[in-house]
Amino acid sequence: MTPILEIKKLYKSFGGLEALKDISINIDRDEIIGLIGPNGAGKTTLFNCVAGIEKPTGGQIIFSGEGSTISIGGKKPEAVTALGIARTFQNIRLFDNLTVIDNVKIGRHCRTKSLFFGAVVRNKFQQAEEKAITESAHQFLKFVGLKGRGQEIARSMAYGDQRRLEIARALATEPRLLMLDEPAAGMNPQESRDLMDLIRRIRDSGITVLLIEHDMKVVMGVCERVVVINHGEWLAEGLPQDVQNNPKVIEAYLGTGAANAA
Amino acid sequence: MGKSEPYNLTRGAKIRIGLLILALIFPFFPFVSDYLLHIVILIFMYMILALGLNIVPGFNGLLDLGYVGFYGIGAYTSGLLTYHFGLSYWVIIPLAFMNGAIWGILLGAPTLRLTGDYFAIVTFGFSELVVLFLTNEIWLTRGPLGLPGIDVVSIDLTLFGGPKWEFVGELPYYYLAIVMVLVTVFVMYRIQDSRLGRAWFAIRDDEVAAVSCGINLLAYKVIAFAISAAFGAVGGSFFARWVTFLSPDMFKFWESFLILCMIVLGGMGNIWGVMIGAVILVSLSEILRELLPLLGLPADVRFLAFGLIMVLMMRFRPAGMLPIAAVAAQMRAGRTKRKKTKPAVGIKK
Repeated sequence: MTPILEIKKLYKSFGGLEALKDISINIDRDEIIGLIGPNGAGKTTLFNCVAGIEKPTGGQIIFSGEGSTISIGGKKPEAVTALGIARTFQNIRLFDNLTVIDNVKIGRHCRTKSLFFGAVVRNKFQQAEEKAITESAHQFLKFVGLKGRGQEIARSMAYGDQRRLEIARALATEPRLLMLDEPAAGMNPQESRDLMDLIRRIRDSGITVLLIEHDMKVVMGVCERVVVINHGEWLAEGLPQDVQNNPKVIEAYLGTGAANAA
Repeated sequence: MGKSEPYNLTRGAKIRIGLLILALIFPFFPFVSDYLLHIVILIFMYMILALGLNIVPGFNGLLDLGYVGFYGIGAYTSGLLTYHFGLSYWVIIPLAFMNGAIWGILLGAPTLRLTGDYFAIVTFGFSELVVLFLTNEIWLTRGPLGLPGIDVVSIDLTLFGGPKWEFVGELPYYYLAIVMVLVTVFVMYRIQDSRLGRAWFAIRDDEVAAVSCGINLLAYKVIAFAISAAFGAVGGSFFARWVTFLSPDMFKFWESFLILCMIVLGGMGNIWGVMIGAVILVSLSEILRELLPLLGLPADVRFLAFGLIMVLMMRFRPAGMLPIAAVAAQMRAGRTKRKKTKPAVGIKK
């Protein structure tokens, strides 16, 4: 079966700084794959390249969504979202001043159509669409465990809830591939466990999950495969336990000598 | 509350109906002169303009300093179509709406990629261009001589064997203006609560997050700019047929500034606030026009007063009289950034 996302020899440089060098990763359908690496390794840059926010300097990104296979390197971010790749951000980016339900409704944007005419006239099509948007938005809130909190203002929510809301908004775009950028950052152990459960439920609903995470408990607990990058280069790949014991990985995180000590 | 009422109206709905009834019977109060009626019509016209402009800075968070350009385009569209072709006002309204939207797209599509102040400068330049065009293209607009003797609005039923009723005096225009304001407010409320409105609010709050929800920034900004321009042009088309005289100097930059002041004063993004801003600034302008000569000052000193109001608002109530959460938060963020106490929202880079 073709992988859902193929990253082939991806390069990205900012001026003289090479943030990504010759990265090749295959992501299989319906797996939960972890992307780890020390700070500044290029994990978020890789996300941005896939999401279309950064333009890669070289290489290919090939996405096989619903039947078709499309190269997305350099595509616009809104087009990438429409193809079926959704993401969350390392530092949460919600629509802070809007209500929780509106945040999720905006996620439905790329799957709906009404514009000025529909808004003013409220024809049958627009009414039906608006009803469907509201219903599905409530379903997504329920899915992430924020049922009944639609009228709160996003900014006033607790940190962990904001993370969940961001995931709900991403799910509302109906992705085939969901990219989570450090979803467990700042969460307490209970919240992390709930998050791991949520990630598994997302996968079970048929969505492939790519995860950047520093919290090793989460990575070990939920990921089926882990890719390690360091200084923008591919370092190791494999089962979480194997990667954890890989001397090269330990060296990347803790420095030379640490591997021998372990 | 409301148990003894025959209908269960909320307090807000009661206030709205009360205000509407007051507006409808207003011309029949004994103290109302033609002059006062003229001022109130002016207020209504500025309400339409301010509500239209509000889409760009209020709903989308983009600064637009050239709104008067579209107002001028609408006014001359209306004036020239009446002058040369004798078109009915009821045909002209949709034409002016479309012409405004077309110019909004023509200006917006290439320039809305610019951000913040750069975009504001482009819009400012555009409004100056419109004035220069109106002044210099004498073959079309008669230039500084102006366009006098534009027909008044009329309801012509002669085609169907009915009477022809011309709008004479201020009273018919008063009711026409009320209808136009009501339609504008209706459209604004509908947009605010729609997929289109939500997309705009998303852009206002966080462009990167909006893009990752699949919103095409440029397309939605151009739509906003076009609709805003269209309402400006509709306001202008009313103006032309109401005062029946146009000249290029009616569309100078300070008009844009005045409309922007209304929005900032009332509360950017708030439909009610914007209308209250129009009421306050138009009436203040007229009061000062009368008052200042009595104090031995030229009437134009009133613009200094507007400037002073803006400075005071920015100091004490930056999000306006009826602020909305999003704008208030942006103003707070701006303030903390200046003081360098803590960084504004955690934006990367």
